[in-house]
Amino acid sequence: MGRKKKKQLKPWCWYCNRDFDDEKILIQHQKAKHFKCHICHKKLYTGPGLAIHCMQVHKETIDGVPNAIPGRIDIELEIYGMEGIPEKDMEERRRVLEQKTQGRTFNFLFTHLGMPPMMPGIPPMMPGMPPVMPGMPPGMMPMRGMMPPAHGMPPMMPGMPPGIPPPMGHHPGMPHMAQAPPTTTRPAVPATTVPTPQPSVSKPLFPSAGQVQQVGSGVAVNSSAPPSAAPKPTFPAYTQSSAAAAANTSSTVAKPGTPVTSKPATLTTTSATSKLIHPDEDISLEELRAQLPRYQCKVPSAGQAHVTSPPVAPMGGVLPPQQGIPAQQPGVRHPMQGPFGAPPQGVPGYVPGGMPPYGQAPPMVPPYQAAPPRPAIGMRPPVMSPGGRY
Amino acid sequence: MSGRAAAEKSSTVRFNMTGANEFKLTQGPEDGVSAVKFSPSSAQFLLVSSWDCTVRLFDVSANSMRMKYQHLAPVLDCAFYDPTHAWSGGLDSQLKTHDLNTDQDTIVGTHDAPIRCVEYCPEVNVMVTGSWDMSVRLWDPRTPCNAGTFTQPEKVYTLSVAGDRLIVGTAGRRVLVWDLRNMGYVQQRRESSLKYQTRCIRAFPNKQGYVLSSIEGRVAVEYLDPSLEVQKKKYAFKCHRLKENGIEQVYPVNAISFHSVHNTFATGGSDGFVNIWDPFNKKRLCQFHRYPTSIASLAFSSDGSLLAIASSYMQEQGDVSHPADAVFIRQVTDAETKPKST
Repeated sequence: MGRKKKKQLKPWCWYCNRDFDDEKILIQHQKAKHFKCHICHKKLYTGPGLAIHCMQVHKETIDGVPNAIPGRIDIELEIYGMEGIPEKDMEERRRVLEQKTQGRTFNFLFTHLGMPPMMPGIPPMMPGMPPVMPGMPPGMMPMRGMMPPAHGMPPMMPGMPPGIPPPMGHHPGMPHMAQAPPTTTRPAVPATTVPTPQPSVSKPLFPSAGQVQQVGSGVAVNSSAPPSAAPKPTFPAYTQSSAAAAANTSSTVAKPGTPVTSKPATLTTTSATSKLIHPDEDISLEELRAQLPRYQCKVPSAGQAHVTSPPVAPMGGVLPPQQGIPAQQPGVRHPMQGPFGAPPQGVPGYVPGGMPPYGQAPPMVPPYQAAPPRPAIGMRPPVMSPGGRY
Repeated sequence: MSGRAAAEKSSTVRFNMTGANEFKLTQGPEDGVSAVKFSPSSAQFLLVSSWDCTVRLFDVSANSMRMKYQHLAPVLDCAFYDPTHAWSGGLDSQLKTHDLNTDQDTIVGTHDAPIRCVEYCPEVNVMVTGSWDMSVRLWDPRTPCNAGTFTQPEKVYTLSVAGDRLIVGTAGRRVLVWDLRNMGYVQQRRESSLKYQTRCIRAFPNKQGYVLSSIEGRVAVEYLDPSLEVQKKKYAFKCHRLKENGIEQVYPVNAISFHSVHNTFATGGSDGFVNIWDPFNKKRLCQFHRYPTSIASLAFSSDGSLLAIASSYMQEQGDVSHPADAVFIRQVTDAETKPKST
């Protein structure tokens, strides 16, 4: 690969603020994203070159450089790779990077110590965050403050589950920490310090808030915008501002992916320009399929659809009330699905799972919502056994 | 001439050729395919688990099914412990092992909810299962018996073994790295760097890291070493997206499989395409023709000469009619799987 002289700064694209490892890759990027004719897809070398081409060949004028962030669309500026970038923009970039680095160091302290000496502005930053998360070690307080009730909240995490580390004790190198630095490649930066210029306030702790690193040329790149609008309403506030600011050249799939929890949350699956080919519920495709009536009767680990067989140990108590039913209606596919905690199904009257039905002791069957049937569930006709939870 | 043409045609039909170097397995499952796995020692044998409640063993070189055994409910994953023992689990929550010589089943144990993943760790000689009951269980394959239950923060959706480490992907986009020799604590807790639900994780054969895919047409390449310099190398990219009428259709990336020799990997998406990627140069090496329906599972043979492709509709768009589910076996070449040197 050509080793061009690198300025102190890593090569970056003036039009969209993206960073690149190599100037060669930067140039390929510019040609493909900013200097490509939308009519005939010819790649030109510069902005003015593109303008001239469109005029001469297609008799069309263009107003600005494609895929550029507002303020950087000037078609008349001749920029090629890192050459031609106005000095003041270079300086601004250096400043911005420096702030990011400071932020990063800061973040280190943050995650290492758990209680960095200065946490200015965190409270203001996180309005509405419950000051104390139950069960969180005191040392981690401010962090928790930032973090949505990660504790006990299954997924949730925009990044903080690692908050658990201290109790974890042995935690090599702070994995989450590991996540933090990379985030700095994108404007995502430790929320704590984030000075406003930094678009994604979405903290490093929440890599989900759009850090997916970019890849060099040749491969598509992520959009940093949509932060995870996790169950925490406070976050979206940040993320939205970051979304607006983040340079998002390929604006596709830009939606808050709700990386949610066991609650069958729904995904935001459509936007004006893209559509996610996946059912709305944020549970796995296999779980969704397992809810189909034709698989429900087969699911029981004990007892089969047609036969009253003795219950298998774990399912023990659950069976007896059931036994009669399959026998009566062998092979009946009950239209009711995953009665137990499958909210999307809208089955009335069933307790969305915390407990297995029939009042089983908790240890017996961990409640996993959204789906797959516990034995015999599928077979449940309205005649419910006494002691059922619903 | 016409005689020969006729003969060729019939042989094509008989062997189910779907390309010059690809054919479809006969006597395949009668419902969706959940997983395909090659034998660790030979590119000749392939296990296929299915929603029709069976696990089948195929002799790929002869394109014939050698054996089939049943579960009580759809089977979600299968794995070879060694060339003569298959392990499998699924919606019936039962972990079974099947002796491929004697054609005998044994129920090894159960989870409290469907078993989603079954893998083997050769370095520690242990079978690993992950379930929607939010636990990972280890099993000693020799006895066979349970060797521990380890709670995860959420339902387990995928897992992969890297040397003596286990990488678990759960609901809620959590990723946990465990040391299989010391399961007393989680070695690393991470969050997926992708914003959407994790679909599949596979570890690099060189054990340096793993590839993680989501339901949103995106794949991340991550490293296990938590040190900063190494973590900086991680990246992600978009894939398995199709533009139709100005709207971009974004598909889940369901399957990942590594080429054991080149450390390149294939991804399969619900768009029906299989892509092969070079993670070091960050380039796509190759894309095959579009398959009839979603790619549910991929497996390279241990010598890297074959790729098994399960083309099986996964209900992404509801319970609608779809092209028949099938498993294709494709001979892959270096040109398709080897990184190009710059």
